[in-house]
Order: sequence, then C-alpha cells, then structure tokens
Amino acid sequence: MYEERFDGRKFDELRPIELETGIIPNANGSARFKIGGTEAIAAVYGPAEVKPKHLERSDRGIIVCKYDMMPFSVPDRAKPGVDRRDMEISLVISNALSRAIMLDEFPKSMISVYVYITQADAGTRCASLTAASMACADAGLPMRDLIAAVAVGKIGDSIVADLSKAEEDYEGGATDIPIAFLPSKDEIVLLQLDGEVSKEELKKAIELGRKEAEKIYELEKAALKRRFMYESKG
Amino acid sequence: MSIENYSYLKELAMGGLRLDQRGPFQRRKITLRTKVSNHADGSAYVELGETKVIAGVKVLPGEPYPDRPDEGSLNVNFEASELSSNYPADRIIYSVEVGRVTDRAIRESKFIDMKKLCITPGSKVLFVFIDIYAINNGGNLLDAANIAALAAILDANYKVEGKEETFKLPFNLDNMPISSTFVKIGDAIFLDANSLEENISDARLSIGVSRGINSMQKGGTGYFKEEEIERCVDEAFRYKEEIKDMLIGKTER
Repeated sequence: MYEERFDGRKFDELRPIELETGIIPNANGSARFKIGGTEAIAAVYGPAEVKPKHLERSDRGIIVCKYDMMPFSVPDRAKPGVDRRDMEISLVISNALSRAIMLDEFPKSMISVYVYITQADAGTRCASLTAASMACADAGLPMRDLIAAVAVGKIGDSIVADLSKAEEDYEGGATDIPIAFLPSKDEIVLLQLDGEVSKEELKKAIELGRKEAEKIYELEKAALKRRFMYESKG
Repeated sequence: MSIENYSYLKELAMGGLRLDQRGPFQRRKITLRTKVSNHADGSAYVELGETKVIAGVKVLPGEPYPDRPDEGSLNVNFEASELSSNYPADRIIYSVEVGRVTDRAIRESKFIDMKKLCITPGSKVLFVFIDIYAINNGGNLLDAANIAALAAILDANYKVEGKEETFKLPFNLDNMPISSTFVKIGDAIFLDANSLEENISDARLSIGVSRGINSMQKGGTGYFKEEEIERCVDEAFRYKEEIKDMLIGKTER
C-alpha cells in the first residue's frame, strides 16, 4: 500500500511550479516551465517556409517539434542528440500542438518548436508540452486553447498526480499516465499509459488529470497576463 | 538586418562608438547563477547581455586512454541548440568552434589536474564531461561558454562509488583560464560584441589567459595587425582579474 507519498504531498497535490515566458529574445515565442525537479525550456520559431519542401501542405501549416535532454539533466549522462525516446516524445508533443494551434491559418508554412530538458525528475513530456504551449501563446499564434499537461498514475493502489522519479520507480508497481487537455474545450490531446490499471482506475486517473490540468491552466493564464502587463508598461 | 543599419553601425564603429553606448573594451552585464540543474555534479547559468547559456558538469568513472594510463579525461561539448537560433548554418559552425576553443583553454591552462583524477592507473580514471548549451545567441557565445564552464567546474561536488563524502574537482585557481573575445569592425576593436556587431565584424579574436596565454582563435575573414593583437592580449589580461573575482566570489560563497 502506498499511503503516504515519499515527498509528503497529498495525492492530488502538484509539486511547486515556476512558469515564465519570453526568456529567449531570438525566438518568436519562448517559455520555461518548472515543476518540482523537472524543468523544460521551449522556443518557437516561425511560421516560416517549409524545409524540407516535401513536408509542405497546401491547405495548412505543419509543426515540427524537437525534444531533447541536456546531458547533465539525468543521473547518468545522456548522450547529446536525439534518441528513440526523444523522437517519440517529439512526435506526441507535435501531435498535441497540432490540435491546439489553428494550423489552417498558415498554409504552406512551418512552425518549429524546440524543447530542452535542463533537469529531469519524471514528467518531462508533460512539462515539455506545457512549456511548448506557453511558447506558442507567447509567439502570438492563434490557438484553440492552451494545453495543460500532467502525469497522473497509480502507485500501489493509489491514484496520484504528478509522479516524481522515486514514485515511478516504486517497488510495489507504478503506472504512469501522461495526459494533456485543452481545458476549456475538454479535449484530451495527449494520452499515454505505461503499466497496468483497471477500467475504473483509468476513469479515476483521467478525472484527477482533468482537475490537476485545471490548476496548471490557471497558472498558465496568469503567466501570460503578467507577460502582457509587463509589455504594456514597456 | 537592413542595409541602413549595417552602414550606420559601421559608421559608428569608425568613431569607436557602439550602438549600446558601451566603451570599446567594456563588457555587457554578466548574471551568474549556479546549482541550476539537480542531477549535474556542478552547473551554472550565465547571461552575458542577451546571450544566455547553461553548463553542466558530470564526473563519471571510465577506462583511461592507453597513451595516458594515469590521467583522467576532459570532454567539453558545446551545443548552439535550436533554442538559441533558427539558422542551422550558424549553429553548426558555433557548436564545433566554441566547444573546441573552450576545451583548449581549460586543458592547456592545466586548470584541472588530470593526474589527480586517476583512481587505479591503467584501469580506472574519472572523466569530466562539461556540456554547455546556448539558450539564446546574443553574440559572443565564446566568452559566455567559458564563464559558464568555469562556474560549473567551481560549483562541482561529485561522488565516487563506495565513498560517502563528495569531492571538489582538483582545480588550481591560479590557472583559471578566462576568455576575452574581440571583434574588429573597420579599424575599431571592440570587446564582447553583441550579435549586431558580430554580424558586421570583419574579424574576431578570442584569447584565453591564465598565468600565460593558453588559447587563441582568430575568426572571420578579416585581419589583425601585430600591434592590435598585442593590445587585445593586454586587455585580456586586465579583464581576466575582473571575471576571476566574480567567479570566485560567486561560487565559493
């Protein structure tokens, strides 16, 4: 039984969050999202001409995403460059963003999204997606909604939010369910599961995910308001 | 950049003036934070004006190279990541050159005593991996990378298998190699160019100094005269003290 969390949090409690936008002046949009010991930095460049040309779509824009971990972000050194895991995460992030961004407004163009992990303590794909969505908003791209992503899961028999690495490695078994919402549309744009849960547990997990995503969503909106207040004060 | 800006900046440079009103040998503001990444043995985040880089050090055991059985190994890697610029050509050139020049200064100054990183001669030594990532390129990645790498080295506390305590890297502060990078625009020479100045510069000169001169790298297609190089070397030695004080004060607090 997993009754008390390793770091003393409540089952539905997120780790401390830091969120800021506009940190990379060269990029059209950028953001940093930190949740506990996990931090992601995202930059958005574009819309721009599609390269390579064969990816171009005449009716809408495309998103190209790259997710990578800095070598010092994990306990062992991660070799620089994109491996198979990074490629998969890049793909699910770009799929989620493609639903959030109104791509039909940018035919024949490409939006490049880059996400780097500076430190990792589980939940990096969710942190990356939240950071990427904030960077897109910071870039002023027309979006159907912001994306709020969170990893929920089952540890022992308990359904918990925002797993840490120690929880993912829990000996009694842990199931990791990264999930992302467009909160105001109530759409799920990323969902993965790694472990074993029952139908009822999955339902409970998604409900918890929705509740937690709502908290992140409020922080995202607050961060964007701060940014624009700052801008209008010059 | 538009043509008007280009010629305006050149014109200013002729009179030794800079768009951001700095003196020719005045650096931009430096912001330094250490311990910015949990899993790194040492880490640092540096802002040099709008240039932002992050560096992490990892100290890991490995087998020594056959020609140096009793020495640890240094591995400096710089990535001008896609975060920092969307021009692939920029990134490829900077990635290799900045990494190699930063590596040379640290290696040749003997800032870290590689012999002390030997655990069992011939079979087990420590590898020092220094990974530096550009987050935003606002010009002069070379000096920003150098400062970040040094700060991360000073910050490092690593563990060795089978021992409880943590260790500092065997560095010698007298040998700390500080990089100063100059650009030449027309006949003017400026320290710590921003990206506008870098774009219109004819040539660039990086000098890494500790007690002596440990690394130099001339970049760009222009030229330097001997007396210009001497002037830059003098300035590099002067600025070394300033940066060194900042690094020691910040990381040994």
